[in-house]
Amino acid sequence: MRHATSRRIEGLPAPIQGVAQTLVDWIPLGILVLLWELASGTVVAEAVLPPPTTVVGEIVELIVTGDVFSHLFISLFRIGVGLGLSILAGVLLGVGMARSDPVENFFDIFLSMTYPIPKTALVPLAILWLGVGTEAAILIVFLACLLPIVLNSYNAAVDVDQNLVWSAQMMGTSDREMLYKVIFPATVPEIMTGIRQAVPIAFIALVSAELIASNQGIGYLILTSGQIGNYPTMFANIVIISAVAFVAVRGFEETRDRVLVWT
Amino acid sequence: MWVRQGDQLMDGRVTISELEKVYGEGAERTKAIENLSFEVEGGEFVSVVGPSGCGKSTLLYLIAGFLDITSGTIAVDDEPIDGPGTDRGVVFQDYALFPWRTVFENVTYGLEEDGVPKEERQSIAQKYIDLVDLDGFEDKYPKELSGGMKQRVGIARTLAYEPKILLMDEPFGALDQPLREALQDQLRDIWADVGKTIVFITHDVEEAVYLSERVLIMTRHPGTKKTVTEVDLDRSGTREEIVTSDEFADYKNTVWKSLHEETQTEVKL
Repeated sequence: MRHATSRRIEGLPAPIQGVAQTLVDWIPLGILVLLWELASGTVVAEAVLPPPTTVVGEIVELIVTGDVFSHLFISLFRIGVGLGLSILAGVLLGVGMARSDPVENFFDIFLSMTYPIPKTALVPLAILWLGVGTEAAILIVFLACLLPIVLNSYNAAVDVDQNLVWSAQMMGTSDREMLYKVIFPATVPEIMTGIRQAVPIAFIALVSAELIASNQGIGYLILTSGQIGNYPTMFANIVIISAVAFVAVRGFEETRDRVLVWT
Repeated sequence: MWVRQGDQLMDGRVTISELEKVYGEGAERTKAIENLSFEVEGGEFVSVVGPSGCGKSTLLYLIAGFLDITSGTIAVDDEPIDGPGTDRGVVFQDYALFPWRTVFENVTYGLEEDGVPKEERQSIAQKYIDLVDLDGFEDKYPKELSGGMKQRVGIARTLAYEPKILLMDEPFGALDQPLREALQDQLRDIWADVGKTIVFITHDVEEAVYLSERVLIMTRHPGTKKTVTEVDLDRSGTREEIVTSDEFADYKNTVWKSLHEETQTEVKL
């Protein structure tokens, strides 16, 4: 989200500037946490809004006892498989539709129809078909992530510079090879953009699915701890999954920048 | 006039017969090229000039096999072309390098496609990278290069897989004057070295006369052959000696006048 020019601190020696910049970046969050701490137990009942100190204690507890990890791994596994499948299918569909009229004609109607459907509305259907558990969650993550990846790779594959295709043709590249030798590499930056959009969507879809259709996972922990009135644990799990999502987005951005050295 | 090497007719002859190219259908139908017959001899350097919209780039892409011929034929060494082929190589105005490949990988692309073994690929690529003065830039990506360097990569890439015919589409059009002149001289040297047929599209009369043995001037819309000027210059001297000579000025005037008649009709329309 942060633009390079916003909230820039300048005119300090490099190491100090780095620390100062980080501090400035996190100040708004610090203020929010402070207000939360003050509001808890005063403006709002502590039972409804446990103070951050309690939530942090609960997070530490969850980590030290190891209770959270089995659920976190299940959640991450579902995201990994769902997102992985959506990348595979999304790139194939997007590039395929862009470069082949029959493929486009066939799949266009499905994508147009499913585009406006909130994918989390399909959770009950996923339960009906796949039962409560991992498969249903994976299906929802897959469906939610598919469209941004299809759309980005489709648009990029349609717009591949004709001269690049001709260049490859004159050097002996066949139409079939063209897909993976020219069209796909030329489309990689936009595929990365699609995945970048899909990563947070994957977390949203996952937690939505786990809230309804699961006996495991962070979403399930959030729901059950809320139902029994254990709000510190509920908050702790919300914070944990948010932090993991944040790290996943940042981690992906780092990877993307490394892959795209040539752009 | 045949260009002969020993007793052999040189390869890379392009024969264009009654060529016609029509774009679109019905009301959208436009004729880009009409009744064009022309022959480029093997090893010859021919420039094609014409007013904008005369179909000179279309002609080049037809020879390359990128576009479909409406009627007539284009043959390379008496063999009618059918789509793109590695006997012809295009140098594009906008370079058209693969941005995800380094300079070296761009130059080796055609050799990879040709199944040349890796070690041989590397030595051939290095030879052409050196030829265009880009040694030291092998591992750079195109985005890290200036326009002139990119075009030298474009030339090296096309030379590397050894097409008989180089098709160049205003390759220096986007570059500034000193750089353009340097690359023109480099191209003349390369042409003398590697002995290829070159079809060179340009709108710059001086460039056409300076570089080529013959200049094909095309009429404006639909494009066809207007006149052909043979340029018989003594090119043994320096650029300055050549471009300031009377004969150079004469050739330039001849081509310019012929071209100017076409641009005049354009203005009247």
